[in-house]
Amino acid sequence: MSDALPKTPKLDELEKGKWPSFVTEIKMAAKKSPMCRDLLGQLEQSYEEKIGYWKHGGIVGVMGYGGGVIGRYSDLPEKYPNISHFHTMRINQPAGWFYNTDALRKICDIWEEHGSGITNMHGSTGDIILLGTTTDELEPTFSELQKIDFDIGGSGSDVRTPSCCCGMARCEWSCYDTMKACYDLTQAYQDEIHRPAFPYKFKFKFSGCPNDCVASMARADMSIIGIWRDDIQVDRAAVTEYAKNGMDIKADVVDNCPARCMDWDGKEIHIDNQFCRRCMHCINVMPKALAPGKDRGAAILLGSKAPIIEGALLSSVLIPFYKMEPPYEELKDLLERIWDLWCEEGKNRERVGEFIQRVGMGNFLEAIELEPVPEMIAHPRENPYVFYEEYFEEDEGEEEESES
Amino acid sequence: MAEPTQERRTDYGPPHYEKFLPPIIKKNYGKWKYHEILKPGVMVHVSETGDKLYTVRASSGRLISVDKIRMYCDLADKYCDGYLRFTSRHNVEFLTDKQENIDPLIKDLQEMGHPVGGIGNAISSMVHTQGWIHCHSAATDASGIVKAVMDDLIEYFEEMKLPGKLRIALACCLNMCGAVHCSDIAILGIHRRPPKIDHEKLHKMCEIPNVTASCPTAAIRPATVDGKQSVEIIEEQCMFCANCYTVCPSLPLNDPLNDGVSIWVGGKVSNARHEPMFSKLAIPYLPNNPPRGPETVEAVRGLVELWAKNAKKYERMGEWIERIGWPRFFKMAGIEFQKEHIDDFKHAGLTYKRSTHLTY
Amino acid sequence: MAKTVDEIADAMYKLVKDAFGIKKLKPMDLTKAMMELYEGEVDKKTCKAAIKQLIDSGKCVYTYFGGSYVEIPHKEGSANE
Repeated sequence: MSDALPKTPKLDELEKGKWPSFVTEIKMAAKKSPMCRDLLGQLEQSYEEKIGYWKHGGIVGVMGYGGGVIGRYSDLPEKYPNISHFHTMRINQPAGWFYNTDALRKICDIWEEHGSGITNMHGSTGDIILLGTTTDELEPTFSELQKIDFDIGGSGSDVRTPSCCCGMARCEWSCYDTMKACYDLTQAYQDEIHRPAFPYKFKFKFSGCPNDCVASMARADMSIIGIWRDDIQVDRAAVTEYAKNGMDIKADVVDNCPARCMDWDGKEIHIDNQFCRRCMHCINVMPKALAPGKDRGAAILLGSKAPIIEGALLSSVLIPFYKMEPPYEELKDLLERIWDLWCEEGKNRERVGEFIQRVGMGNFLEAIELEPVPEMIAHPRENPYVFYEEYFEEDEGEEEESES
Repeated sequence: MAEPTQERRTDYGPPHYEKFLPPIIKKNYGKWKYHEILKPGVMVHVSETGDKLYTVRASSGRLISVDKIRMYCDLADKYCDGYLRFTSRHNVEFLTDKQENIDPLIKDLQEMGHPVGGIGNAISSMVHTQGWIHCHSAATDASGIVKAVMDDLIEYFEEMKLPGKLRIALACCLNMCGAVHCSDIAILGIHRRPPKIDHEKLHKMCEIPNVTASCPTAAIRPATVDGKQSVEIIEEQCMFCANCYTVCPSLPLNDPLNDGVSIWVGGKVSNARHEPMFSKLAIPYLPNNPPRGPETVEAVRGLVELWAKNAKKYERMGEWIERIGWPRFFKMAGIEFQKEHIDDFKHAGLTYKRSTHLTY
Repeated sequence: MAKTVDEIADAMYKLVKDAFGIKKLKPMDLTKAMMELYEGEVDKKTCKAAIKQLIDSGKCVYTYFGGSYVEIPHKEGSANE
């Protein structure tokens, strides 16, 4: 067996250009890793033949856990024996993706010794992705990770590794402590992350404000988005400063307000806060002058997902405002009621958003004991096919209201 | 071999984030007052205490070797007291309270081949999936197309010359690990032929009731083939979602001749101005053409530049198209409108034009 | 009489073993089966502990095929030597 890199004329084309090249990275790792040499070979073949050569594994993992390891085998093991096994490990990232170099270097050392030496920083859900190792190396890798306090994340029908924006660590707009909430719920639900017991996956994402930097609206079964209830804070001097420096406040700010709730008279900005939709645009454009109010918390939304199976969904409002302070008891109670119901009645591979579509939001709310409020809907129903549950019965000439 | 001295631990979760926060962040946690973008890829956050924190953002490349991570660590040690972070879109960020460190840091990053940018009215790094590097269900590669597209659009990452933010994402199949369905521009790997049934293996590897239940259009039925329990597929009902393949490996859809990508536009997740929106189909099919997928690169650049030229300040792709109308968009983009553009799944009727608000 | 975790783990193991090669069972399937079999004698907490015991002892493993299941350890179809 030779240590030389395989010939990869097609992949080599992707070392040209200014964007960082994944091919260069794999080649860098291939100096030390026979796995990466075979990976280059198989990938070049995929590029030639326009098809992938991986098989999905479903059993491998570390002892005791049902998630966090994605089994993968080459479909061409005779040709590329070093990637006959090429499993991925998902490692739960620290909240906000902050690191010190000591911790990162230790992860690198572990992965160089026990795996391919290539990673994703990070995967789409937020984990550190350690890309490619053998079944025999899974336990030793986990054992090393235990020593540096990094645990494995989620995969399969479980709570997926929660993620959050950097929140109060580096953002003036964060309406609650996203990193604290993310860490708290991650710790509270370790069993649900590591031992899949749900009909399908369940994702949390914590965004500090409606700009939603972690895309929780689109990619989290529970989207926890920071918001405020009182008035936008205005620094009048700073507004004047923006105007003086040439900002067209009418065109750039006022005319883009979706609620049309603001005015600029050339001197002062007036906001009719009762109609403000908390969209963030004006604050985004004038961060020195405007800020979210002081009565801050989060809106809790539920149900977003990608298309598989019944079509893509965005999350919809469940609780319009929640104070979002530790220990988050009410939120956890609600969450556990949702999980109980969904586990009891959800179908295999049915996300919670699809489950709600199937049983109806009204019935869902009743089952989780939450009162319906108009903030939950874009508009009331347009069709008259109502499942009325209250009616009068004739009773000895006297009408009495009864509930079914 | 496992060391017997170490007790096996489970369920301890990630390390506490506080141990990874630079002192200036610990001191100013929750006290940030405002921020400003100083130049492409560089911003400053100013605290109520008067402290200033500078951020330099670069593309990490997402797939990186441990040696590259060590190089980032060297930079963080040199300029940032040993701290760094990553973003939700695979950027790497260096944080420092020393303004004088910014320019040397940028120079080092650029020499390492990591462009600095992605802040403000720019294209940030593309969120994407694994593709042929690691996935069994990929209908296209991921990293290769992303590299080619971003090589081509690098000016929009490194400079701030767009009307608003632009988010591009790629998912190599409909499972969408990269959840591309709310992006300004989404590149989505697609199959165009039904699964090829492996009757020999299916009964050994898959539970038939699970397989039939997995099909959203009920196109899969149990059948006996050559005396073996298997399934049959009503091909006209198959919309190539590959959900059955996820449940049963004996139903592969991968097809080098017909797999490719589709291009979607106008989605967003932010609540700023317009509510969040799904991306909508712009180009139903482009071929897989590795290594650099010139058709896809050209199509994406065309869409970016069309929007950049015509949108009003701050207007995202979807907001711009909503203002001008889809017929005008197709005309301006030079994209032929086809049957595939019209929805025929659930609630399709809600996507029909139900008014005479027409432009000519 | 409330059933112990050991008793439930044994009953679950029998279910998983009997279903091997015929039907994959999810943790919730096992829990529901126990609640039906030992009505009033077992709760969800005991079922959860029983599944954890089965997995931690290595008698069963979690598997994933588009959903997570509890099965008898076996060599998987796609595995290479």
